[in-house]
Amino acid sequence: MTDGDILLSGRNLSKQFKGLRAVAGVDIDIRRGEIVGLIGPNGAGKSTMFNLLSGFLPPTTGQLFIAGANMTGATPERISQQGLVRTFQHGSYLPSMTVRDNVLIGSLGGMRNARVSRAEQNKGIDEAIALFGLSNHWNNVAKNLSHGLQRLLSMAIAFAARPSLICLDEPLTGLNQTEVTGTLQVYRRLKTDYGMSILLVEHNMRAVMNICDRIYVLHHGEIICTGTPDEVKNSDAVLKAYLGEAHGI
Amino acid sequence: MTEYKEWIGIVAIACALLAGVAFGGSYIGTLVVWIAIAAVMASSLRFVLLIGELNFASAAFFGIGAYCTGYIVNHADLPFVLTLALSGGLALVVSIVFGGITLKVKGPYFLLIGFAFTEALRIFYTRMEALGGNSGLVGIFPPAWLDAHYQYFTTVLCFLLILGLLGIERSHLGKIFIAIRDNENVVRSVGNRVFFTKVVCFAIASTVAGLAGSLHAFANNVISPLDFGFMLSIFALAYLKVGGEDSPLGPVMGAALLVCVASYAQSLGGNEHILYGLAIVLSVLFMPKGLAGLADLLRRKKESVA
Repeated sequence: MTDGDILLSGRNLSKQFKGLRAVAGVDIDIRRGEIVGLIGPNGAGKSTMFNLLSGFLPPTTGQLFIAGANMTGATPERISQQGLVRTFQHGSYLPSMTVRDNVLIGSLGGMRNARVSRAEQNKGIDEAIALFGLSNHWNNVAKNLSHGLQRLLSMAIAFAARPSLICLDEPLTGLNQTEVTGTLQVYRRLKTDYGMSILLVEHNMRAVMNICDRIYVLHHGEIICTGTPDEVKNSDAVLKAYLGEAHGI
Repeated sequence: MTEYKEWIGIVAIACALLAGVAFGGSYIGTLVVWIAIAAVMASSLRFVLLIGELNFASAAFFGIGAYCTGYIVNHADLPFVLTLALSGGLALVVSIVFGGITLKVKGPYFLLIGFAFTEALRIFYTRMEALGGNSGLVGIFPPAWLDAHYQYFTTVLCFLLILGLLGIERSHLGKIFIAIRDNENVVRSVGNRVFFTKVVCFAIASTVAGLAGSLHAFANNVISPLDFGFMLSIFALAYLKVGGEDSPLGPVMGAALLVCVASYAQSLGGNEHILYGLAIVLSVLFMPKGLAGLADLLRRKKESVA
């Protein structure tokens, strides 16, 4: 593995909110075509970490590089143009718009600087809708969709921007087992067919262990363990400090 | 209501108003011009609502357009079309600066800044001798070649402006406006420039308001600071709420109804403000989607009874 394979690199990232140190000196690397999990209990700093990586919060200290460019302190729009697109834990869609228009907004962001014909754009939108199983709902207004479909729609919007790295914030919450299985298959396709990397924040440990190539475990704002799913499962530090018996791993 | 029907609806209302100018005599012709200008103001207000902001500065930009026209007519002998363009252009430039500073805040804060800006400009007009002070500016006439057809010209131009706003609303840019209103974090996260897009939306709406102000100055021949206070924005909001903000037809229908109501009230000795207030209360209580949504509301009630 060479430096050229590194898509995202965070060095010594920290975020201080007055008296609270939400993220403390985190180093993180994500390689091209890699699915990486970021896990930790509630309050571990996962959402803050997501906000730091996607530009929604500037780091107090540290540096962020995406595709070789220094993105420290860059706006979310700039970071997205550099290839990192994220979803949000809650309501990561446009409620008053149809499924198709939701995906269109994603594609407009991704193609802002590209000369793409209307036909190519429509093809990309249809592909995103089909990939996430939303073809039968393309003309439905997003707020009228089921919770599971809204989750899929939020991922379709992010995919339509054609990023190099998709950061997904608890995308499997509220999905039934069939939907989870289908979504994990889509993640594999994003990796193999489209060469995308995925950063996954998720509480569904079975899914995380199943899909991720590597996992970072965050606790009290610090990385306490990183490695393959097997390494994380067998880490004493993780078992002792975080996962415990309650997660059944 | 489908998009297709909205285009047809606006063109049909424009044709009806033009027929009013042609066959209705001078009073109806004047009324039609007021309706057309009011409809543009309300459409401008609705346009900024697409990004989720209530723009109380719309009266200020209407005033900027009107005062720019008044000043040019009184102090420089420029062609009519150039005067119109400069008035819209000044509103555009001021709106880019104003929007570039103020659109960083949202909701009630943006509304209050718009209100303050409108009132500050109104007071500025009263203090500026070059702009006629409290008395305002007089003698703002359209050129002789247009004078006989000015009512047609204004009505047609107003409806072209409204159709232009509708065209932008239906474009990809318009969809980004609506997406920003829905959830600007999602729009930002996929790489669309939210703040820049908001300023573009605000600048377009303000330019249209400035052009409407210029048309108002030529139609009224006289302007004064009191014409451009915050009440003008309140009136535009009333047109929008009574007509219905969900449809581009709403502001046109609301303006047509309330301008006629105001005209009738004035013929009874004024107090049109009471009728405006009454119309807003009644529409909010019984027509939450406004006049434009009335047909849908009635259809749904009929279906539920059946």
